[in-house]
Amino acid sequence: MSAPLQVYEPFRAGLPPLGRYWKSLWARRTFISQYSKSELREQHFDSVFGQLWLVLNPLLLSAVYFLLIVIIGGSSDSTRYGHLTASLFLFYLVSNSLTGGVKSVTAGQRLILNTAFPRIMLPISATIIALFKFLPTLLVFLVMRTIIGLPFGWEMLWAIPVFFITMLFALGVAITISCVNVYFRDITSFLPYLTRTLLYLSPILYEASSLSPKLRALEVFNPLFPILDSWSKAVVHSQVPETSSMLQGLAWALGIFLVGTYFFLSREREFAVRL
Amino acid sequence: MPSVSNTPLITNEVAVSVRNLGLTYTTAIDRRPTLKARLKSLGGKQTRTIRALDDVNLDIEYGQVLGVIGTNGAGKSSLMRVIAGILPPSQGRVEVYGSVSTLLALGVGFNPAMSGRDNVLLGGLAAGMSRDEIEQHFDEIADFSELGEAIDSPMRSYSSGMYARLAFSVAATVRPDILIVDEALSTGDAKFKEKSLNRIKELRSEDRALILVSHAMRTLREVCNDIAWLHKGKLIQRGEPNTVIDAYQEFLHLGKSAVVDEDL
Repeated sequence: MSAPLQVYEPFRAGLPPLGRYWKSLWARRTFISQYSKSELREQHFDSVFGQLWLVLNPLLLSAVYFLLIVIIGGSSDSTRYGHLTASLFLFYLVSNSLTGGVKSVTAGQRLILNTAFPRIMLPISATIIALFKFLPTLLVFLVMRTIIGLPFGWEMLWAIPVFFITMLFALGVAITISCVNVYFRDITSFLPYLTRTLLYLSPILYEASSLSPKLRALEVFNPLFPILDSWSKAVVHSQVPETSSMLQGLAWALGIFLVGTYFFLSREREFAVRL
Repeated sequence: MPSVSNTPLITNEVAVSVRNLGLTYTTAIDRRPTLKARLKSLGGKQTRTIRALDDVNLDIEYGQVLGVIGTNGAGKSSLMRVIAGILPPSQGRVEVYGSVSTLLALGVGFNPAMSGRDNVLLGGLAAGMSRDEIEQHFDEIADFSELGEAIDSPMRSYSSGMYARLAFSVAATVRPDILIVDEALSTGDAKFKEKSLNRIKELRSEDRALILVSHAMRTLREVCNDIAWLHKGKLIQRGEPNTVIDAYQEFLHLGKSAVVDEDL
């Protein structure tokens, strides 16, 4: 019989064989797309009003924040509104990935207890779902920025690498938080505070350039700061983002992704007994 | 499909080889591990070690229909999960020759908000099957489960019987080399029980190993050609079904009343 032989032995601490892990993950890529699709359908985002809500929600939010800025700050212009909306949309990509990722492993309990598969599929799916929620808002922003007359230019293409950095970051936080949640289930309750704090500490309600230099020194501690700053430069102002910002964002994203993935992979084999 | 006889031949071709298998794990004493609980008991010991399997040696050959019996907490499910590659062993070595069903059936329904159809598809994809493979089997699964239109409604609206019927249908339709059916035998109404028993009998063949975990002794006597009795993580006895089951029931100080036979 040409049956494949599989051997299960006690595992050493640390990472599983990465080559085999990747192969088994790649073989299951349809799971990730199917899972995202089913999940979106279940949340009614395949219907007209569901999609409309997806766009309406951040749009209304940005309107509320805009009102706040006008009332408190007094001055305002269309660039400000564009900046607010674009940044908020990208922020939601990360925050959706975080809130979707946190329960991805614990919610998959039944599957994890009864099927052998690379567990990392679950937080990856959460990030993909967040991405699908982000795409329509991007379209809305493009329409909006045409209406309010923001400048177009080839510099806007810099948004592409910034987007990939954001995705890497979103994936990294989803993987990390899903793993942490297995050991500390109450982390879910802290999450709203974490995202709220991130929202106010990032250049969304204000522009990075309007901060005093003293405050800007603190930005190195916020991974989203350089990412959102570069994003706004590219898509709102149609300028080339600062290289240092991009590199800083990339370093954060790569760091969180690698550390989170290391923790996840070295821990995932005991998830079945922890759930 | 090879010819299916009523008593399949044992081919002496090893399907699963379990050597000196031990499985220990530590679990939190708290029901839910939280940061709050961890901080409250800083420094204190808050885990206990469970020895789920202790030096188990077991060979399963192709053509064999192995029944696994034992009281609750004997380690039956743990053993199945190690064979399926879900739990890594703490000691020893497990060799599996062929594809395992990976308890697929029980993973079905992991997301109660999704329809039965989505759950079957996702469970199959997670187990490493291709979409075509699943879709090919899907009608058969839906037919066998007799769920009708309910297959497209969310699984949270299912009764426990419907749940079990879908799970068994998946297990019975997807045809791996090594099929593990964990307790799913004794579910559903009498009619479905009969039907699933017949399906199990059909699935016995020379090139498949069947492992049935069940408390339904009469069924095991009827279907299996080998029984392994686990108790507190140790393999107590292995051999001819009637002998082992009799010994097991004697051990439990229970007579051979019909109730015991079926519902234990």
